[in-house]
Amino acid sequence: MTARAEVTRGVDYRRPSLWQRIIASEHLAGWAFVAPAVILIAVFALIPIGWSLLLSFQANNLLAPGHYIGLANYKALSKDPQFRAAIGHTIVYTVIFVPVSVLGALGLAVALNRKLRGIRFYRLAVFIPLVTSTVATGIVFLWLLDPTFGLVNYALHALGLPQQGFLQNPNQALYCIVVMTVWGWLGFDVIVYLAALQGIPQDLLEASEIDGASKWATFRSVVLPLLGPATLFLVVWSTINALQLFDEIYVTTRGGPLGATTVLVFYLYQQAFQFFNAGYGAAIAYVLFVGILIITLFQLWVGRKRVYYTS
Amino acid sequence: MKRICLLIVTSALIVAGCGGSGSSSSASSTGSASASGSSGGHVNITLWHGYTDVEGTAIKALATQFNATHPNITVTPQFYGNSDYALQKVLAAVAGGKPPDISYLYGSWAANIATNPTTVNLAPYIQKDPSWNWNDFWLAARNVTTVNGKIIGVPALIDNLALVYNKKLFAEAGIPLPTTDWTWTDFENAALKLTDPSKKQFGWAYVNDASEDTVWRFWAMLWQAGGSILSPDGKQAAFNSAAGLKAMTLLQTLAKHNAIYLDDGSDVYPGVFNSGHIGMLWTGPWDLSQITGHQPYGVTILPADQNHQTISGPDNWVVFNNGSARVNAAVTFLKWFTSPAIDLKWATMTGDLPLRASVAKLPGYNAFVQKYPGIGEWAANLANATQSRPVTTTYPKISTVVGQAVQSVLLGKADPQQALSQAAQQVNGILSAPS
Amino acid sequence: MASTSTATVDRLVRLDAPEEPRRRLPLSPWHLFLGPVAVIMLLPLIWMVILSLETSSEAQSFPPVVLPTGLHFHNYVTTWNSEPFGNFFLNSAIYSLTTVAGNLLFCSLAGYAFARLKFWGRDVLFIVLLATLMVPFQVLLIPTFLIVKHLGLVDSVGGLIMPNLCSAFGIFMLRQFFRTLPIELEEAARIDGTSRLGILFKIVLPLSLPALATLGIIQFMWSWNDFLWPLIIIDTASHDPLQLGLSALQGAHRSHWNLVMAGTVMSQIPMIVAFLIAQRWFIRSIAFTGIKQ
Repeated sequence: MTARAEVTRGVDYRRPSLWQRIIASEHLAGWAFVAPAVILIAVFALIPIGWSLLLSFQANNLLAPGHYIGLANYKALSKDPQFRAAIGHTIVYTVIFVPVSVLGALGLAVALNRKLRGIRFYRLAVFIPLVTSTVATGIVFLWLLDPTFGLVNYALHALGLPQQGFLQNPNQALYCIVVMTVWGWLGFDVIVYLAALQGIPQDLLEASEIDGASKWATFRSVVLPLLGPATLFLVVWSTINALQLFDEIYVTTRGGPLGATTVLVFYLYQQAFQFFNAGYGAAIAYVLFVGILIITLFQLWVGRKRVYYTS
Repeated sequence: MKRICLLIVTSALIVAGCGGSGSSSSASSTGSASASGSSGGHVNITLWHGYTDVEGTAIKALATQFNATHPNITVTPQFYGNSDYALQKVLAAVAGGKPPDISYLYGSWAANIATNPTTVNLAPYIQKDPSWNWNDFWLAARNVTTVNGKIIGVPALIDNLALVYNKKLFAEAGIPLPTTDWTWTDFENAALKLTDPSKKQFGWAYVNDASEDTVWRFWAMLWQAGGSILSPDGKQAAFNSAAGLKAMTLLQTLAKHNAIYLDDGSDVYPGVFNSGHIGMLWTGPWDLSQITGHQPYGVTILPADQNHQTISGPDNWVVFNNGSARVNAAVTFLKWFTSPAIDLKWATMTGDLPLRASVAKLPGYNAFVQKYPGIGEWAANLANATQSRPVTTTYPKISTVVGQAVQSVLLGKADPQQALSQAAQQVNGILSAPS
Repeated sequence: MASTSTATVDRLVRLDAPEEPRRRLPLSPWHLFLGPVAVIMLLPLIWMVILSLETSSEAQSFPPVVLPTGLHFHNYVTTWNSEPFGNFFLNSAIYSLTTVAGNLLFCSLAGYAFARLKFWGRDVLFIVLLATLMVPFQVLLIPTFLIVKHLGLVDSVGGLIMPNLCSAFGIFMLRQFFRTLPIELEEAARIDGTSRLGILFKIVLPLSLPALATLGIIQFMWSWNDFLWPLIIIDTASHDPLQLGLSALQGAHRSHWNLVMAGTVMSQIPMIVAFLIAQRWFIRSIAFTGIKQ
């Protein structure tokens, strides 16, 4: 008998026992639901993160036994001009990449959400770059953008425009990486948006149409707000990802030319696995971690105020 | 009901995934890595390598041959992926207390590898056994195995830079082919003459990604001009000398005239050479497999300024301590593997250069030279590899600094004197910093 | 009320059917936009296929030979035979399917809890889990290896799988999706006495198929394309998943680039197939007019 039924009958009822209340409580249920995930993530992610925090307080080349040096790594970081440069490159990259890829994906997803002949083919085409291995992508782009023999310079030449250095030009390389990664990741954002677009109730769209709103107005006042949760997710996720850019740099420019594409994780990799300075590398990772955490919390806070959930 | 079934199926999948592999992991643990050594005198050892293609076939074949002729030892070669990633894997294995018995490791890592307690110092083994004929190994290879008096590796690979030229382009430009008497001036003139922007043709190619690949060509030039990398006590940079300036200026001149195809590190320059767009390369035997069968090419020693010195990039087989039985077995294998007869067999199968000077006197040597057109030049050029890069823990940082200096000159962003001074200053900072 | 909603459902279901003819151009103007986009997206794959059909000699030139003299399909056969690809595919399949199953299950449970349940420490825990996405793997690979070694799973497919069974990414994504669902359905079921687990599996998940399909395909892709972790944890070649096995083809210097490309193209086919399958779920029109009741 449910509590509600008993109340309506107006009969004096016995309160459920403490044990029954605990079992029924949302607290226990919540923790029970998250338990498997928490255990797995605690063991395989949180513990390693703790280990590397300890590493950041050591001078350690991962070969000889390390020794603790307190905050020396962090102090050195604060004076390291290359670290500051890496921060700059990472921020420039992220600030361009996130809006371009999220907005681009939104437009593309809307275009792909139609019943068009061959739409399945188009969706597949957009997905393909996502599954292409980074190595293969790097090779293709290195060829496309080669200063002498690349396809893009060939086209520029045909149009009478000067040849560009692209990935070999310190002023252009980072932007080329933006293009390459937007191309590679767009499909991800698109399928998330496509899935979210399915959740928009048709009757809301129809009601808006009946009210005489234009397609654009419907989009802006009905669709866009309902895509809020997906947008927040994509912005947060893209930012977290962009700030940790590594693979595409590793297979193309290796941090060059002249350090122009040395982003934070690449700098970390260099320190840990080229210079055998793993403690310093771990310190870089932690500073990056704190930065990402602050940015993410800020984004979630903004999202809390501006994102509309149907519940 | 349905959700319970779903739960069961999912859990079963997960358990099967882990459990099914659990049985294979126990199979593997008896088979390979945790081969906890001996059972009744028989020892199992693992050898980690990055060999693919012909080298991959060769290592398997030779391991099989060794196992057949040495009944008490079984060597299992394991491919660890790309040699670039090897370091991360080896570091993980060492940190986890499960290093392989033998691993192929880049020579540039030698100084750091030597700091690891489980790296075996082979000096006692080699001193006890003169049949190793240790000095038969080329000097350049030996230099990279020795760190502070400890011998931490057995030579695994040796190479050097030589001059490869496109005979057809030389003929078309009307330039006489390079000889062993060539000087920098000859080289510079030829490179400029072979450059033709209208045909997208370059006189020379240079790997310009600021990595060691960028630096070591510069070192060869520095040595040819009579310079050295560091001061004799190793505490100061010495490359910003007149010799260094001369080398950098040559690079600047050629770059200014667009005579150099700048490879961004993705190693496409052999392909560009193959399509007939490059006149000359400074490269090693590793490119042979790619350039054979395309342009008509010749190989000779590098041009000289004061000497014809070249540079070599040797790598090591490092032995890790998993107990004395396994160390002994590993040493036995490496001695066999690098013995003159077997080394010649390896060279013939793979096109790698012989590790020992005495190999050139063996009867099968001519067959080896015939099989890989041009390889004889590289092998003979090993005698010109008289200097080596410093084998220190700070070398990787020095390399990065100098790499950026060379890159900045090649891109026209800095002039030689400026780049050298700045690099020297940074290197002095690195050398004087407490480790 | 009920009859209205059925009628609405019927009408919406019929949306899957071909559109009623309206003023139709022979080719919608959308093709003018999507066409070039598709070409740009497909360019590398087309390029890889072309390279895979060239001879070794043609593949060794740069600038690349764009129109090969012949279509050497036997490259695929050669590649398949050069390494135990059957093994590689099997290992990758086990790795990918188990991590997908694990993530779908555990992230659904956790995502639902974060979306709908109020429990002590919920918001802090969510941030803590999210934080695990903020440290790059290069720093974590050695301690992760140490943990897997303690579990005795080195050089096994289990060692591949365990660290990837549940990711905060999936939890975050599903939490967002679950929160967009109308809560009335769940409340109604709760009043009817359905357990929370029942609500999740009977009501929430069926309505979340697009999100689940999306998570599934993404996790599949990550596991399928994973290189660094398999490199660290696997020693024996027969346990190699695909990307690791493919690297055995890649000579240090590009002698057989055509074969490498053939191997790469082959390795992408299962992901394309998986996407085509998953597409049916995340594009399906979900009608939940139950609100009107």
